Amino acid sequence: MRELYAKLNRLFPLGELTERRSNLAFITLTAEYLRPVLLHLRDREGFSHLVLLTAVDWLEEGQFQLSYLLSDRANGRDIGLRLMLPRDGASMESIHDLWPTAATYQRELREMFGIDFPGSPRINEEFILEGWTDIPPYRRDFDTLKFAQENFVARPGRETWDPARHMKDQLYPDGA
Amino acid sequence: MGFCMSVRDVLSPFTAWKNLFLDPVTIRDPLNDRPGAARYRGFHQNDVGRCIGCGTCETICQNGAIDMVPAEGIETKQGDSGLRPRIDYGRCCWCALCVDVCMTGSLTMSNAYKWVESDPDLFRFTPGVDRKYWDDAERGYRRPEDHRLTPRERAHMGEMAPEARIGSFDEIVHGYSIEQARLEADRCVACGLCVATCPAHMAIPDYIAAVRDGDYERGLRLLYDTNPFSQICGRICTHRCETTCAARHEGDPIAIRWLKRHICDQIPHEKYLEIVGKPAPATGKRVAIVGAGPAGLTAAFDLAKQGHSVTVFEALDKPGGMTRWGIPEYRLPYDIIDREVAVIRSLGVDIRCNQRIGRDISLKSLRNGHDAVLITLGLQLGRSTRIPGSDHADVRKSVDLLRQARACEDFGTPRQAVVIGGGNVAMDIARTLARLQKLAYGEVRVTVTALEDFAHFLADPEEVKEAGEEGILILDARGPQQVVVEDGKVVGLRTWRVKAIFDEQGRFAPSYDETDEQFHPGEMVVESIGQMTDTALLGDALSEQLAWNRGRLQVDLGGRTSESWLWAAGDMVRGPDVVSAVADGHRVAASIHAALNPMKERQ
Repeated sequence: MRELYAKLNRLFPLGELTERRSNLAFITLTAEYLRPVLLHLRDREGFSHLVLLTAVDWLEEGQFQLSYLLSDRANGRDIGLRLMLPRDGASMESIHDLWPTAATYQRELREMFGIDFPGSPRINEEFILEGWTDIPPYRRDFDTLKFAQENFVARPGRETWDPARHMKDQLYPDGA
Repeated sequence: MGFCMSVRDVLSPFTAWKNLFLDPVTIRDPLNDRPGAARYRGFHQNDVGRCIGCGTCETICQNGAIDMVPAEGIETKQGDSGLRPRIDYGRCCWCALCVDVCMTGSLTMSNAYKWVESDPDLFRFTPGVDRKYWDDAERGYRRPEDHRLTPRERAHMGEMAPEARIGSFDEIVHGYSIEQARLEADRCVACGLCVATCPAHMAIPDYIAAVRDGDYERGLRLLYDTNPFSQICGRICTHRCETTCAARHEGDPIAIRWLKRHICDQIPHEKYLEIVGKPAPATGKRVAIVGAGPAGLTAAFDLAKQGHSVTVFEALDKPGGMTRWGIPEYRLPYDIIDREVAVIRSLGVDIRCNQRIGRDISLKSLRNGHDAVLITLGLQLGRSTRIPGSDHADVRKSVDLLRQARACEDFGTPRQAVVIGGGNVAMDIARTLARLQKLAYGEVRVTVTALEDFAHFLADPEEVKEAGEEGILILDARGPQQVVVEDGKVVGLRTWRVKAIFDEQGRFAPSYDETDEQFHPGEMVVESIGQMTDTALLGDALSEQLAWNRGRLQVDLGGRTSESWLWAAGDMVRGPDVVSAVADGHRVAASIHAALNPMKERQ
């Protein structure tokens, strides 16, 4: 993988290489070089398969991280490309023309994280959330517990005890 | 038609017959014979004996599916709330966050996934308590070894290296930086199991949250709500809270004591006075307190805040009690005590030093001049082994030597010393002597002989480790037999190996292996085997009137003695540690306050 990285690095300005296994590595890059690097990997290096496209919300840094995982089946190796996007008004170039399946991933990311991929087929159609009105639920500032409490009723008769208060009542009821 | 068939057509149905001898691909009974995958996240299991009821699973559950409920046969005790998680399967989504966060690893998921009931309420159940068919399932989701939501190890605490610290009395522990403290605070899951264990029931999770938020003023306010000796406890508390911390089950307990110290270290002294606030309007009641240690001063702090006029009478020339005269400076610098006392004085507490009862003042005069009297005499007398030779002038008590060392009195530092005892005080005097030897002679020659073996040692492990690093020889299971005196001078201690410390009835009655005798040379022997109260200070007449219980003054829950005007608190009625004395100070202050305001109490 180091050889491949060195070769790529002569052609494109890349960020760091993270090797996870001998046949799995991740390369960071900036958004503008994603398409040429993907094309090169697909057409010149045998990474013909887009395994997945996913995102991580780095809330504190105000950024989304996108990970594109590609597979070179003939040689049994995978490579991931990672890039950061500003979280505000997050938008990324679509790659559905390189891999048609990307459109599905992009539609999912649009719905779950609110990341736009202009031009991607059916990008604004509902994916699995029907009638969703809240902020995208995979954003880390989405309060899952609050949503669950507001939308799903608890069965009657539920009761809970706070551990510290319960211990106080049991072990030192008179405050001593 | 049959006439038209080829041979192949005739035979072809039979070719399928070869499959008769292969294992079938289909499952014979798919409703019963299809176990979940090995790491399937199926129905919950809880090893209730390992579960400590910390409620972290309830807190992390994003579906609000978990309640913490009392469970039959499970007692609330130190380090275990006695509650167990009950899960509502109407809300659970099997995400396994509860398993991933579980502090003991007791909560897991089996690979079972079939459960049919007609009553929907039955799907609310307490795993491990309500028996289920999957309780003993061996397969299912368990948190992988390396998968942890909270770091296992505590944030690193910087300390002076042994070579550097032995030549001085400088404080050993550096204290956390803001960054280290925040990392450490982040490990706390705020379950609050520690609160019950802390004698003063400090609001531990709340002040740790204040560290996390960087809101040190809020933190200090929380500390002073329950402990006016927070700066001192932040350094030398026996930190029993850390022995019941949920994090200790699968890693280091949270460094609660160091986080407390960190809060105290961040706030400038002037700010303390502002945060502690002003006393309530004067009540006109007068309270006398004998002894300016943690118990007496905590009571003074509480009573002064309530508007009572408090005068503290201290026999020695500076306040602080055992925190000043019993704890070496390398663990607790003097200025920390001065700062603590200044906060208490800022509430108008009048602390008068060099006022020993029986010499400078009498309890009778205190009684006449005050509405209530509190005695906190501490444990100022060292116990003696009473072995032959122990009456020699060069056989000393650790409590006396520590006091002299802190007063910078020259008591004749021995070139070689033997300490009898295995508790923290024995470590304190051994390490103090080691420093004095290093300063005076350039080498450390201290031997500690403890009755207990290392498996049952009384001193904290870090004290033993640090003493060892400083060149002190610690011998376990050695019973002192004789202080050997030659030509009128102490030359050492003779010991036998201890076979057992207690007899079959559990009474203290050490038995020895007389064939295993050792001689430990030294021109000074220090007895450090326990301390007692100097009850002679009370005077014969009062001692006669008071009720006693096995040599200890008898007091009620609020610390009141059998004499209605007299209360007692601190080490003389409780075990010897600062935070217990603080807790006792609060208790006795509440009792005195109630007695001084009988009308309010009745309302």
